[in-house]
Amino acid sequence: MEGSLNVLGAGIAYGLAAFGPGLGIGIIGGKAVEAMARQPEMAGKVQTTMFIAIAFTEALALLGFVLALILSA
Amino acid sequence: MDGFSEKLASKLHHYSVLPWNDVNGTVDPTTALMLTNYVFFLLIAAVVTLVFFLVAARRVALVPRGIGNIAEAGYEFIRNLCVDNMGKEGVKMAPFIGTLFFFILVNNVIGLIPGALPGTGSIGVTATWAVMVFIVYNYIGFKKNGFMGYLKSFIPSGVREMPPLGRYTLGPFIFVLEIVGHFLRPLTLAVRLFANMFAGGIILGIFGIFMILGVKSLGALGITMTGFGFMMLVIMYGFKVFVAFIQAYVFAILTSVYIGGALHASEH
Repeated sequence: MEGSLNVLGAGIAYGLAAFGPGLGIGIIGGKAVEAMARQPEMAGKVQTTMFIAIAFTEALALLGFVLALILSA
Repeated sequence: MDGFSEKLASKLHHYSVLPWNDVNGTVDPTTALMLTNYVFFLLIAAVVTLVFFLVAARRVALVPRGIGNIAEAGYEFIRNLCVDNMGKEGVKMAPFIGTLFFFILVNNVIGLIPGALPGTGSIGVTATWAVMVFIVYNYIGFKKNGFMGYLKSFIPSGVREMPPLGRYTLGPFIFVLEIVGHFLRPLTLAVRLFANMFAGGIILGIFGIFMILGVKSLGALGITMTGFGFMMLVIMYGFKVFVAFIQAYVFAILTSVYIGGALHASEH
């Protein structure tokens, strides 16, 4: 019984952990496209910054993934 | 859906850290020193990377051909990345960033071969590299700015120029926050690479199990499951190729951003 609750908790934890970063990465990508469309000559720099920003945001979701692994193990 | 959980368990077993040649499961995994399956593929990746660049470096020409062309384009890409993020001094760090980038890239790509594992799919491997990066960029920061200079740079100049009341209340708070942030950097570096490569394999495995189960159970459900599994397998494999490159790139670019921040710590 305890084990199944752990698995349920893992599922909820990962779902919630993916929610925020999902929204965040969407906003980052959208804004990056906006910026690139406005100033195509800056596309390279915008892309680099976008990747860095995505990497920071994504880390939160991945911490949730690791937490889910720990909970369900 | 009988058989799914056993198949998933065996798939997860394939991805857990095991002695590399342990077919029968007779070796005690708690033994202190052993060559694990991940380390086995890590060593293969090391040999592949080394041989590739040794062969490329043996035939240096003004107009490179073949393998030398690839190596030179790769090095130029890394050098530009370094100069963009660290300024002129960044060229000196290009060998370090380049080694990390190409080693991680080869590891990730080897993980794409069915049956093989990415060496980066083990938290011990990525954590070691992340700690290495942490030590390198802090060493550069202390060396470049002096001991107190680098520590002072943890408090933004805006706070340092405040009137004494703000400086002495807000300053320590931000200092502690920055220190914690710096220690989170290696943690996120390690977990990002590990989780991406580890999860990618499991996702492929799950869709593979879908296909096998679909083939076994006949009827409309079986055909649908096989089709769905195959479609997702192809899509996820393509995505994994993309992730293999992007994760190596992200590791390299974050390392260069951290080193760049340490180099120019006194300027902001």
